[in-house]
Amino acid sequence: MSAAAAVLEPTAPPDPLAVYRDDGPIARTVGRVHLSAPAPLLALAALAPLLVAVAATGGGASDALAGAVVAWVLLAGGLATGAQGRDKIAWAGTPLLRLTEYVGLIWIAALHGESAYPAAYALLGALAFRHYDLVYRLRHRGVVPARWVSALSLGWDGRLVLAFVLLVAGALPGGFYVVAAVFGAAFVGEAAYGWVVVGRVEQPLGDDEEDDEL
Amino acid sequence: MTSGLSDTRAAPDASTIPAARPAGVGLASVLATALASDGLPAALLPWADGTVVSRLAGQLAGLGVPAPLVVTRPGFEAAVRQAVGPAADVRASASVADDLRLIARAAREGAGEVLVMAGDIVTHTDALEGLVANPHAGTRILAGGRRRPLAFRFQARRGRLVSAASAYHAVRSPNGTFLGVLRTVPGDVEALAQAAERLAPLVADVPDTWRDELDRKAERWRAAVERASTGEEEGGDDFAGPDEPEDLEDTGDDVGGAAITLSDADELQWRTRVAAAPEDAAALLLVGLVRAHVDVTPVYLRQLFWTRPLSPAATAAAAERIKHYDVDRVLLESAVKSADGFFTTFFVSPYSKYIARWAARRGFTPNQVTTVSMLLGVLAAAAFATGERWGLVAGAVLLQISFTTDCVDGQLARYTRQFSKLGAWLDSVFDRTKEYLAFAGLAIGAHHMGDEVWVLACAAITLQTVRHSSDFSYMAVAHQAITVTPQTPIEQPLDHAGARAEARRAARAGGAAPAPSKRPLATRILSAWHRLDRARALRWIKRMAAFPIGERFAVISITAAFFTPRVTFIAWLTWGGLAVVYTQAGRVLRSIR
Repeated sequence: MSAAAAVLEPTAPPDPLAVYRDDGPIARTVGRVHLSAPAPLLALAALAPLLVAVAATGGGASDALAGAVVAWVLLAGGLATGAQGRDKIAWAGTPLLRLTEYVGLIWIAALHGESAYPAAYALLGALAFRHYDLVYRLRHRGVVPARWVSALSLGWDGRLVLAFVLLVAGALPGGFYVVAAVFGAAFVGEAAYGWVVVGRVEQPLGDDEEDDEL
Repeated sequence: MTSGLSDTRAAPDASTIPAARPAGVGLASVLATALASDGLPAALLPWADGTVVSRLAGQLAGLGVPAPLVVTRPGFEAAVRQAVGPAADVRASASVADDLRLIARAAREGAGEVLVMAGDIVTHTDALEGLVANPHAGTRILAGGRRRPLAFRFQARRGRLVSAASAYHAVRSPNGTFLGVLRTVPGDVEALAQAAERLAPLVADVPDTWRDELDRKAERWRAAVERASTGEEEGGDDFAGPDEPEDLEDTGDDVGGAAITLSDADELQWRTRVAAAPEDAAALLLVGLVRAHVDVTPVYLRQLFWTRPLSPAATAAAAERIKHYDVDRVLLESAVKSADGFFTTFFVSPYSKYIARWAARRGFTPNQVTTVSMLLGVLAAAAFATGERWGLVAGAVLLQISFTTDCVDGQLARYTRQFSKLGAWLDSVFDRTKEYLAFAGLAIGAHHMGDEVWVLACAAITLQTVRHSSDFSYMAVAHQAITVTPQTPIEQPLDHAGARAEARRAARAGGAAPAPSKRPLATRILSAWHRLDRARALRWIKRMAAFPIGERFAVISITAAFFTPRVTFIAWLTWGGLAVVYTQAGRVLRSIR
């Protein structure tokens, strides 16, 4: 082997925290303001008012209040995505944003009424598939889903906006079912296609990559 | 393979278990340089009707490794050549410095992976296979647990070596041992050659600091030899395993051994060890790679046999001991994950490994088993969805069968070494899918029973996904932190942690620093918390508290079978909620200390 070949580095792998976060265009735009505050603190700032609103109003908040809370979540959560520094607590930002998104979607379902919960569950199931796939694909193959599917998924920020629009438009719970079906088909289909393309050659797994979460 | 050994895989499996993939090893360099107690190369110690090194050469050939380059000292070429056969390239080298130069040259000339290994070790073929059979994994070593006081030690974090020892290099906080086999992938071969070239002049004219480190080791080994001979401590090279990842040991206060009087036999054993240590080019190269930030993964021996017998008596004892190994059983035991949850370890793995062996003999692939497990999970969810008592009971049973099958696929993969990236992805994704389908099934079942629990199902899927998101993010950051672990230059005997401790000590001795300040609160809480692990029961309770998958599935099955879906969700969410508090508190403490 020549020395020249040895210095050839593979392209830098994507930052896992950024991939796991699953940001959409709104969050990325807001995130251009790079605050120096720790990301988890900003993510908590996004989550806390949402939890207060859920606790205070349950399923009885007005559309205006819900809209204000969603807007606040997008702002603070977007700032959290921009603040991802290399501080040691940075990892905590991602699960907090995930919690914010899922709680937000469940609350929007609650604002419509009990009948929207099964639809919300279907939507969360489709999203959970994407969020695990983002992790496992990066871990096992070092790649992220195709760009079109990430654009379609809208990011956590876009999904909250879409859910709020569906609520205001009176399109719940059917809207959630439709979105869940479209997302589910796209996420699962694209993941399966990725494996059909590369999976023809069974790629052995390094034993260091073995799944270690329980 | 030398005759008279019982360490081949049990015959019935041979036809069904796929042969090892062709090894990607381009160069196998076997070091027959260390001398045994009789003054001859330890590699030439008699073994069955051959020698230790002829046995190794046979094992390597059986694994598809090309004829090795065997390095020995001048005067022994003929004997070594006779032992390893005409195919091998036997070279005489005057010193370990020349060994290193020879390996550097040969590594650069060849293509493919480079194996550097001691020629005087006795181990199962399967242990070597674990290193060479997977051409796509990274640079790896054969690793033992830390209770092998006579082997060179290392420190590994999250499956990566952060420090390694040689005769002249120390590890501050070891948690494992290097068992003399190093496999370097093509991408790291240049780093290996550079390390060899940098080490060669140093070992040719050993610096005083290096000599001091060897003296320290010699003292420690003296104490270890004494402890082993008095039976005070299981250890030495007769340690019977298991060799698994272990917690750190702090070696800040190594006991001195200079004053110990040994029996004549022990004295000879000790002298042989100390004399053999500087000859170990493999250990030096390993230190060179680790110090050059090369990613090296330990592959643990688990319950297989390994020893480095440096005397005729020890070789005979090893031959006797390896005979009594049932390798098939040992491989099956080793296929069980070492760090699983309580429920999985005690209620599933004891019998699932036999299902794994049965599946291997029938020729099932791990992915087929994974798929069966998924289908059973779908059936379980469908049964839950009936909302009838029989359905809840049937769902509970099906879910447990599905979970057992899920444990089987991983064990089957490890047992037959059929790892695949698709398999790992499917396994992970299907695990989540089964659990979330079970929630949906339970919520539908409750609806049929007149109880609306969909909001609880939403809470459960949120809790679990967020918990996993935290696991993934935390591990990603921890992994990045290890990648940037600082390393001291190869000239320095101490590793980074050792050098820092030394600097602190020097500062204190010079009066430059005030009395040692108290450690931060977070660090003190964490070390108290880690001390609890010494009690086995507490360690299991801590693992259960994190609510791993076996416990989660057990909670679902038991509560669904005997109570209602609402009870299932409340129990699941309560335990899951406590687990969040417990695990997140630990992670935040670790992040802020």
